[in-house]
Amino acid sequence: MSPTPPARSPHRPKSTVDRGGAGRPPAPRRPAEAQGGPATGQRKSGTAPPPATATRWQATAHRVAGAALTAVRRRGRGLLMWLTGRRGLTRAWQRSGLRTRVAATVALGALLLSAIMATLSYQLIRNSLLAERQRTAVRTAFYDAAVVRPRLAGPATDRVQVLSLLDTGQGRRPVLYDAGVRYALTTDVGAESDIPTTLREMVHNGQAGAQRVRTATGPAIVVGIPLSDTTEYYEIVSLREAEATLDLVGLVLGLVAAGTTIAGAGLGWSAAGRALRPLKSVAAAARGIAAGDLTARLDTGTDPELTQLASSFNDMVDQLQQRIERDRRFAADVSHELRSPLQTLSAAATVLHNRRDHLDRRTAVAADLVVEEVGRFQRLVSDLIAIARADAELQWSSVDIAALAREQCRVRGADARIVTISGPSTWWADARRVEQIIGNLVENAQRHGGGAVAVRLSREGRKSVIEVDDAGPGVLPEERDLIFSPFVRGRSAASRGDTEGAGLGLAIVARLAHSHAGQVRVLDRPGGGARFRVELGTRPAGGDA
Amino acid sequence: MAGVLVIEDDDRIRRSLVLALEDEGYTVRGSATAEEGLTAHRTDPADAVLVDLMLPGIDGFECVRQLRRDGDATIVVVSAREDTHDIVAALEAGADDYLVKPVAIKELSARLRAVRRRNRGAPVTTPTIVVGDLEVRPDAGEVRLRGELVALTRTEFLLLCELASHAGQVLSRTQLLARVWEYEFGDERLVDVHVGRLRQKIEDEPASPRRLVTVRGLGYKLIR
Repeated sequence: MSPTPPARSPHRPKSTVDRGGAGRPPAPRRPAEAQGGPATGQRKSGTAPPPATATRWQATAHRVAGAALTAVRRRGRGLLMWLTGRRGLTRAWQRSGLRTRVAATVALGALLLSAIMATLSYQLIRNSLLAERQRTAVRTAFYDAAVVRPRLAGPATDRVQVLSLLDTGQGRRPVLYDAGVRYALTTDVGAESDIPTTLREMVHNGQAGAQRVRTATGPAIVVGIPLSDTTEYYEIVSLREAEATLDLVGLVLGLVAAGTTIAGAGLGWSAAGRALRPLKSVAAAARGIAAGDLTARLDTGTDPELTQLASSFNDMVDQLQQRIERDRRFAADVSHELRSPLQTLSAAATVLHNRRDHLDRRTAVAADLVVEEVGRFQRLVSDLIAIARADAELQWSSVDIAALAREQCRVRGADARIVTISGPSTWWADARRVEQIIGNLVENAQRHGGGAVAVRLSREGRKSVIEVDDAGPGVLPEERDLIFSPFVRGRSAASRGDTEGAGLGLAIVARLAHSHAGQVRVLDRPGGGARFRVELGTRPAGGDA
Repeated sequence: MAGVLVIEDDDRIRRSLVLALEDEGYTVRGSATAEEGLTAHRTDPADAVLVDLMLPGIDGFECVRQLRRDGDATIVVVSAREDTHDIVAALEAGADDYLVKPVAIKELSARLRAVRRRNRGAPVTTPTIVVGDLEVRPDAGEVRLRGELVALTRTEFLLLCELASHAGQVLSRTQLLARVWEYEFGDERLVDVHVGRLRQKIEDEPASPRRLVTVRGLGYKLIR
């Protein structure tokens, strides 16, 4: 929409025939001031009507719009390419977040609406105000003309004195043309050109008229009334007061529009926040579920639009919970069924092992094989059970982490002095999981990495970090993801023909870390060897409990 | 020494455990049901009883409870179940230890030896320790609360002796495991459950203990 309202042309109003006013008793006036030299009325014929006279506000709007238009024209191509080609704005728009977008949209809508309303209101007020002023000016001019006319009887009459009889005040300037000579109360030269030629012609031809003009002292209405064939009476009525009123109205409307825009933004922001609140609760519930809290459910509430979302979400979680429960029960059953025969095998194998010396050579070798395989089978089963149980609920407690790590080092045959800790000495964590993670990493370092050389425990922000360094050959970059898969052994294990481990140790670490809201990575240790880094979602014990 | 009683319904497991423990030098008897085992234990009390949890008839938990009522024999639960609530329930029923199948015979044997050491060589040299209105007499194996005799199991008694001889000091779970159970490493829940049982007997309000307090993140302390 164009910022400049279509100005209704004030040219050539129909002549007003309102001569009904009785003579107003002219009050004695102050003596006429020095009169400007009589100027001959110019009669330029054939000139086009003057350009639409605009108010100050409109002029400013014109300038701004012109500048904007030029800028848009100049940058339009570039802007278009930027928008369609790089989609920078679209990306920025999407990045800005739903709430910001809603607020911006509502604000923009409010701005557009209030701008339209303000413009229309301004235009309406302006038109009615100017029309009113013009009617008043015409009426007053006729009134004054009625006062002047009878006093111009004789040629000897002082024209200026007659004019000075009029009670014109500051806002009106009477001008009299008699036989081509101009009479006025003031000396201002501008008044000469203030009366448009077209109006002069019209009045000269015996028709009264009014026209809006822009004078040196501001906008005005010129009313022309023919008094006789040679005499024309003009009155230049200043519109400065009306102009000031309109400026004020414009300012107020502008402020209202700005206020509406801001209120729109605020409203959009708060409405979006309110509308997004259910989404936040969904997100919180989903986070809880991801962290292992399967009891999280959404309140189905009373809002019919949200009930569906909430109930589908809850159904989904129910299904998930049932499935996890089924898996867990199955794993528990399997583990139980495997443990019982293993107990028999283990005990019987021990007996065989103890009596090895009483067996003949062939039987002893067979017994050794049985004992070894039972041992391997036992580790495999306990590892598989550990994997199956990794998804079970976390058992939070405060854990003396350094003591736990030292103990694991001792158990796995590493020097407990390699354990170092920075930050709080107790963590709020699942003790069994953390124990198994550290144990398996130390075990892995002892078995495949030439021995563990450092176990570092620290807090980084909200994460608890466990780092286990070894002195081995390190892990090839292409194997770094692979080694955390079940039944995968690193190149060193394969080359050594190591059959001790089932290749589940690191897979268990990965599962446990994941179930503990964390992850495990393998890095290069500065100076050679591998560094296993586990980040867990724990917190210092007693931190906020 | 009457030896070890194995209460286990799985015939093969029971036979293999009996064989293996006999190899370790214990006198071992086996029972297939809780009823049978309880009768055997009453007629000829064993030093240590290994109990399976899933038994026909009287189940393991109830069996442990009755054994505990009968005397202070060391009760070790050997079960395929390793859920925390099972472990805690078994320990609260009165078991001294809980091992998850499959148990290596060496480990089982080491634990039983530790129990035997404990039973034989109690801390008799320590004189009477008075902590507030609590009186612990290690030599007599007696604990009196405001003069009243408190009945404690052997493990509870040893735990209290350890805490009383370090009254005012914090003892970590690992320390308690090492000194009371003589385990280099083990399940810290053992300590927690036994502390809980001890509180039932020596605290006026076990839920808000005033004598045996938990020092968060560190361990337990007997208030001087």
